[in-house]
Amino acid sequence: MADHHVVIDNLVKTYPGAQKPSVDHVSFSLPRGEMLALLGPSGCGKTTILRMIAGLIAPTSGAIRLEGKDVSSIAVYKRNMGMVFQAYALFPHMTVAQNISFGLEMRKVGRAEREERVRKALDLVKLTGLGDRKVSQLSGGQQQRAAIARSLVIEPELLLLDEPLSNLDAKLRDEMRDEIRDIQARTGVTAIFVTHDQDEALSMADRLAVMSAGRLEQVGTPREIFDRPQTEFVASFIGAGTFFEGQVAEPGLAVVEGLKSLRFVGEAPVGSTVKLMIRPHRLVLADSAGQPNSFTGTVEHIVYRGQILTLNIRCGGRLLQADLPTHAGVLPEKGDEVTLAVAAQDVTLVGQVAP
Amino acid sequence: MSAAALPAAETSPANASRGILLMLLLPGLIALVITFLLPLIWLLRASFASSTMGALSGGDWTVQSYSTVLFDPFYWRVAWNTLVLGFNVAIFAVILSYPIALFLARTESRFRGVLTALAVAPLLTSSVVRTYGWMVILGDRGVINSTLQSLSLTGGVIRLTNNSLGATVALIEILMPYAILAMLSGFGRLNTQLEEAAAMLGANRLRVFTRIILPLSAPGVLTAALLVFVLAISSFVTPRLMGGGRVFVLGTEVFNEATVTLNWPLAAALSVMLLILFSSIILLYQRALRALET
Repeated sequence: MADHHVVIDNLVKTYPGAQKPSVDHVSFSLPRGEMLALLGPSGCGKTTILRMIAGLIAPTSGAIRLEGKDVSSIAVYKRNMGMVFQAYALFPHMTVAQNISFGLEMRKVGRAEREERVRKALDLVKLTGLGDRKVSQLSGGQQQRAAIARSLVIEPELLLLDEPLSNLDAKLRDEMRDEIRDIQARTGVTAIFVTHDQDEALSMADRLAVMSAGRLEQVGTPREIFDRPQTEFVASFIGAGTFFEGQVAEPGLAVVEGLKSLRFVGEAPVGSTVKLMIRPHRLVLADSAGQPNSFTGTVEHIVYRGQILTLNIRCGGRLLQADLPTHAGVLPEKGDEVTLAVAAQDVTLVGQVAP
Repeated sequence: MSAAALPAAETSPANASRGILLMLLLPGLIALVITFLLPLIWLLRASFASSTMGALSGGDWTVQSYSTVLFDPFYWRVAWNTLVLGFNVAIFAVILSYPIALFLARTESRFRGVLTALAVAPLLTSSVVRTYGWMVILGDRGVINSTLQSLSLTGGVIRLTNNSLGATVALIEILMPYAILAMLSGFGRLNTQLEEAAAMLGANRLRVFTRIILPLSAPGVLTAALLVFVLAISSFVTPRLMGGGRVFVLGTEVFNEATVTLNWPLAAALSVMLLILFSSIILLYQRALRALET
């Protein structure tokens, strides 16, 4: 942790006059060359964190360390970080090449080297030959590329992206998602981006930091976040799932009201009340009702979605969501009685309810 | 039958909307013709009439008024004075208004609306009243002179009125609200995110100002300068009152010729000169603006 390239240590931001901090003791770290997504609903403080790292706003307390050095008191223009703004913030009175060259001019790079580096940056983002265009003559996707080139040409310590895909249409978004990932991998720059879109976060980032109401909920790889959510918020914010509350009868076994007992993975003291979650695609059709961790119920609603079939099953007074692959033999129909089973390691402990 | 009817059906909506457009424009056009174009033609005609005391003689055409204007060095000096006054007022009004307009455009204060209203509030009082205000401040026995004298800092009276300095100072203050308003409306391209982007790229405050804020606010500054210049060179009340009859600009001369000397053709010829001055400045302005925006 401590030797990671970027270390965010107990960062707090309380705006003057605000009752609660917008960012409340957030800590995470990132090794060199990795890409981290700050994910959360709007107003959770993720953009505030990004702006504090950038130096655009000052933290109330805490540290931002790069290579072990606290940069939180260094002025924004000396931090050497690249930032891609949500609306790109390209300078409208300059050409694309002048935009990209601006950071190099501020660093007093000579003209010949500047031209060379601008040309390389344009190649990197596939805008070769468009340097003389006015910003207004570029399409949305091209503007995004120009903004990325402008922030990378200065060879920043850290690349920051604020909702990088939110201003693009759906098709371009998929393209730019791969493109940004590819550019980041090729340049090897450490990057942090802010998003409210879980697909974007899961597919682009090496690491996710999920936030809610100013607090960090969980940090982990996309798999850890999706398969092992540690809090109920993370479990419900990312992906779908059915939640249960149960009493722990013995280690790894909870009794859920109206159902049989559920085996789960995770540490919880006997007698405590726990929250459990099952992802819809982890449920499989079972042969008999006698199996452990099985549910028998009536199919109440069916949505056919090509590769998968989404079922809502009424089971012991509650609604269970299941996604079945459509190639799984005979598919149930509405009104059928079905039995579904789930492995114990797919029943995730997402929290304990205080007694 | 239907094939023949189709093209007609296709063209008619466009024609109809053009017809409606013309109809909608008509009231405005008529008003402009009556209140602007006709008086202008009448002014042009009057400038070519021979001067008879207090009246316009009918049918004859003469360039007498123009030759008076063009060959009398006095009028050249008046035109020069007007230009100098206009430039001075425009430059200082813009310099003084720029920080205020920049602040109002950039502030996130919740009092922004109130502050903007305060900045342009002087427009609520007549410029005559404000000119009298300046006479009280700058006059020989005004606030400044009496303060300086009672402190024994100066021996005699410092001449601040009845000269072009007084007229310039008063005009600057009177026209500043216009400059602020014009700049505020011309600062549309300013955007804090652009400043943040420049700072992220390594530009300190000064560089952000010279490389981002200044170029992006230039069109607004230019518009404000033009507006103030035009208002200053066409002003009449302030130069007249603050100048005490010693400041001769085109505005005061037109008034003199029209109401004192009763030489209407000469007044008309001077007005035409002023119009030509306006037009050339506006042409220059448009050239400059185009150069700035491309």
